[in-house]
Amino acid sequence: MTDATLQWAAQVLGATKVYGTGEAEVRALDGVTVGFERGRFTAIMGPSGSGKSTLMQCTAGLDRLTAGQVLIGDVDITRLSEKQLTLLRRQKIGFVFQQFNLLPTLSAAENIAFPLALAGRKPERDWMEHVVATVGLADRLRHKPSELSGGQQQRVAVARALVERPEIVVADEPTGNLDSRASAEILTFMADAVSQFGQTVVMVTHDPVSAAYADRILFLADGRIVDELLQPTRESILARMGRLGL
Amino acid sequence: MLRYALTTLRANVTRFVATALAVIIGVGFLAAGLMLTDAMRVALSGNVQRQYAGVDVVVEPAASLAEFGASVPADVLSEVAATPGVTAAAGELSATAAILDRTGASSTPRAKGRAWIPEAQLNPLTIEAGRAPTADGEVVVDRGTAADNDLHVGSTVRLGTPAGPSSATVVGISGFGRTDSVDPGGTLSFAPATSLRLLSPGSPAWNAILVAAKDPATTMTALRHTLPQSLEITSGHDFRASQQDADAGFIDLLRPVLQGFAYLALFVCGFVIFNTFSVVVTQRFRELALIRAVGGTPGQVRRSLVLEGAVVGFVSSAVGVAFGAALAVALQAVLGAFDIKLPGSGVALSTGTVVLCLVVGTVVTVLSVIVPAVRAGRTKPVEAMRDAAVDRSGASIARAVIGGACLVAAIVLLLADRFGTASGWFLGPGSLLLFVGLVVGGPLVARLFASLLRIPARRSGVTARLAVDNAGRNPKRTATTANALVIGLFLVTLVTVSGDALKTWTVERINALSSSDFIVTGDRSGVAPDLVAQMRTTKGVADIGPVSQAGVLTTSGEVALVSGADIDELRRTTGLEVRSGSLEDVAAGRGAAVTDLGGASTSGGGGAGPGSDRSIAATPGRLGESIELVSPDGSPVGVDVLATLEPKLDTLLLGTLLDRERFTAVAGEHPVTSVFVRVEPGQAEAVGRRLDRLVATHAGTQVQPGNFIGEIVSQIFDFLIGAVNALLGMSVVIALVGIVNTITLSIFERRRELGMLRALGMTRRQVAWMVRTEAVLIGLLGTIIGVGAGLLLGWVMIGSLPGHIPLNVNWTRLALIALVGVLAGVIASIAPARRATRIEMVEAMATT
Repeated sequence: MTDATLQWAAQVLGATKVYGTGEAEVRALDGVTVGFERGRFTAIMGPSGSGKSTLMQCTAGLDRLTAGQVLIGDVDITRLSEKQLTLLRRQKIGFVFQQFNLLPTLSAAENIAFPLALAGRKPERDWMEHVVATVGLADRLRHKPSELSGGQQQRVAVARALVERPEIVVADEPTGNLDSRASAEILTFMADAVSQFGQTVVMVTHDPVSAAYADRILFLADGRIVDELLQPTRESILARMGRLGL
Repeated sequence: MLRYALTTLRANVTRFVATALAVIIGVGFLAAGLMLTDAMRVALSGNVQRQYAGVDVVVEPAASLAEFGASVPADVLSEVAATPGVTAAAGELSATAAILDRTGASSTPRAKGRAWIPEAQLNPLTIEAGRAPTADGEVVVDRGTAADNDLHVGSTVRLGTPAGPSSATVVGISGFGRTDSVDPGGTLSFAPATSLRLLSPGSPAWNAILVAAKDPATTMTALRHTLPQSLEITSGHDFRASQQDADAGFIDLLRPVLQGFAYLALFVCGFVIFNTFSVVVTQRFRELALIRAVGGTPGQVRRSLVLEGAVVGFVSSAVGVAFGAALAVALQAVLGAFDIKLPGSGVALSTGTVVLCLVVGTVVTVLSVIVPAVRAGRTKPVEAMRDAAVDRSGASIARAVIGGACLVAAIVLLLADRFGTASGWFLGPGSLLLFVGLVVGGPLVARLFASLLRIPARRSGVTARLAVDNAGRNPKRTATTANALVIGLFLVTLVTVSGDALKTWTVERINALSSSDFIVTGDRSGVAPDLVAQMRTTKGVADIGPVSQAGVLTTSGEVALVSGADIDELRRTTGLEVRSGSLEDVAAGRGAAVTDLGGASTSGGGGAGPGSDRSIAATPGRLGESIELVSPDGSPVGVDVLATLEPKLDTLLLGTLLDRERFTAVAGEHPVTSVFVRVEPGQAEAVGRRLDRLVATHAGTQVQPGNFIGEIVSQIFDFLIGAVNALLGMSVVIALVGIVNTITLSIFERRRELGMLRALGMTRRQVAWMVRTEAVLIGLLGTIIGVGAGLLLGWVMIGSLPGHIPLNVNWTRLALIALVGVLAGVIASIAPARRATRIEMVEAMATT
């Protein structure tokens, strides 16, 4: 491992993503270069259509770039086959979705262990207990998602994202469907994961309150990174957004 | 609302592909059956009309006697021709005949030899080239046969005829209107005298005499006066009608059978349609709620869905009719490739057929849509604001109670039927309850099935686990899909299991009865005398017993089957065993021997065949009884029963047995119709081969092993089981479409979930495997229930028949049926599985 890969959990180099052709051509990403440092909580903000979701999806290996590179650790995922990429996602990337996306037929515990089960592995007991305790689900493990509140479901999802100790956790508007109290809980867990386990987290959001939990904020507009804010507070975010006209 | 229904329909066309496909297959099947049978009927009746167009009066054997191969003695023709009022008369005679290739094998397996009719107004055939046959050694072949065998006027051919091999020169080519020949397999025409010799060896006779007359009515009266009672005089009109009945009669049987299977297939379609619309309603939940919220009444919501159903049903039915026409043409082509020519070509597209198909297809669709439509009507406006459709599991207590009660009651009834005394009575209600129970309780069964499988699935990894969960996730839908398969497989199993049992039992019974080693039979013209002589001297043959049989009128106007033979020869070749009386008296010509069937008279039962108004006389069954016959000269003859025989296959074939001399006195001259052969020990196989070679050149004569009836019955059973299963296969195909439909719709519903699974690291292969497993599980559920229910009902049905028929289940065949069911799942999953793997992972981010 080089120093760079020690420092960066993920790097995006000259990323360009073009949808459609001719008149209907849309440049969702226009030569974006950015790195996500290990053990940091990065938020990506920007108006609708700014390319923030595309950046996240391409970084997480859910979609492919038109041009440019994405490195997860020291692996260039743009060179991987479909199968290799799938296996990489399974081991190195954790996901938290706006819609929770739990499997309705599995219990909370089974949902948490699901990425490991896909590979035919069992979770390490200590780590599993640690993660479960961190998100405060110990007494809900046997419940089905339909028996849990939205906040509890999203906590299961966060635990699921952490259980593999991935290189990077990608969260897409994780609090979009939650009330403010549940939102605060979830964001605290994610911030804790960063500070306690040294987990790397990248979160897409349009909510300044949520973004304030991050260590660093990237602002996107028209497929480019237009600004960056370190150690943000709600006020500094709002001020910066106002300045950028977002 | 009409506009709404139509635009939604247009926007979601792909969702209805499966429904449409199911209806198209079902309606297509119905249409093909109707069109084919219509075409066949038209062609057959048209042929009869043309063939006998110039015939005013027909002299034929009494209709009931014709069943026994009775015919009109050759010399009657001159009598008829001499009758006042007759302008032309000709003998009609046809029998199997063939053109032989160099090796002596037939190259025209289904051709007929015919007597050429010199009187032009009675002859349906025309000479296309050359001239009519007038002497021995001359033959006229039809256009088709000539073309197929490369024959021209002047060619020499070797012929196989009932009288044995013969050679002839082709002197002409015949045609039958626009078609090649009257007989579907080709016609070989001989001069009248030649035909009597070749086609009616033994005793020269016509099948019928065709008459043209100036005044048919008076001519008929005149003929009635001159001709004996055993001949019937029919007007040309009646004759044509009865020929049409005889030729096209099987169509009246075929038509309802084909229709029955088509309706069954459409019933299965109902399940597929029901499922599609149930899913569509769930998917459109919010949209429907929105309509309600902006002021749509429940009735409007309901009607819009029914209307959608009607449009889908109607359009699919229309396509189905076209598909049916194509299917019918394809079927004709396929059969044609196997040298089976169905009568009539093309399809008969009648308005009736089209209307029926459109109505049936549309009605089935609309009926299947009603329940989902009513459910849609109940959508509450507030649900427009809710997040997602609730997954209603269909496990209400009422359903559990009703379904469970039906299933329990069904099994109790069926067991009561099997072991109780009131055999047969509970079979109907029991099966009906079983079906209702399966439909109502299906979701519970599906859920139970899923939870049972969860245990082994847990061991084989998370993918299997998810597949099982998915199958049990919407038990109602899984059950409906499986039930479509259940119907087909249930009937296939039932038919196979009970058919097999009946076959084995019947064949065993029959084989226990037979005793001679071979039976050689001729067609209606009998076995040629020289052949009988040759058989007697064939190496390995110990003895032969030639028998002549005829139907003879009784004084009460019925027909009795009478056989004449050398009694001693017959005793040596068959298993004649005397139960009472003395065969010596019979051999001396003093009376008859009959089969003893426990003292009861054997009832002939019913009519003597289509177009016959006479019934078959009961054969007397006791010593001392007698039977009153009408001899050829019209005088009554009493025949006493002097011996009774043990019931054996051979004796049952004989009817009333007389010594040959007495037989001729009572029934007139008749050719030998069958020869019983007894071989020397260990010679059966060799003799069989020698006899086969011997009869090869005698068209129409066949060698059958002594247990041939057993073999024929067994073949008939096999054919029926096979045919019924093939027809039931149509409903299995539709069920397959149903599985494709359900899986595709589920995938569509679970796009987001599938996207998430892929994002979390499920490989494409794992996704495909999961989807495939779900489909196979549905197939498996349908198979277990279908085969199980079929087995249960077969067991009960066979058990409730008298005679303690053992249920020898052919497990290999059963396993094959089960395999078909599971394979249906595998095949059904191919396309949906591929589709599932292509789902974009970003779907996981979609908010709806």
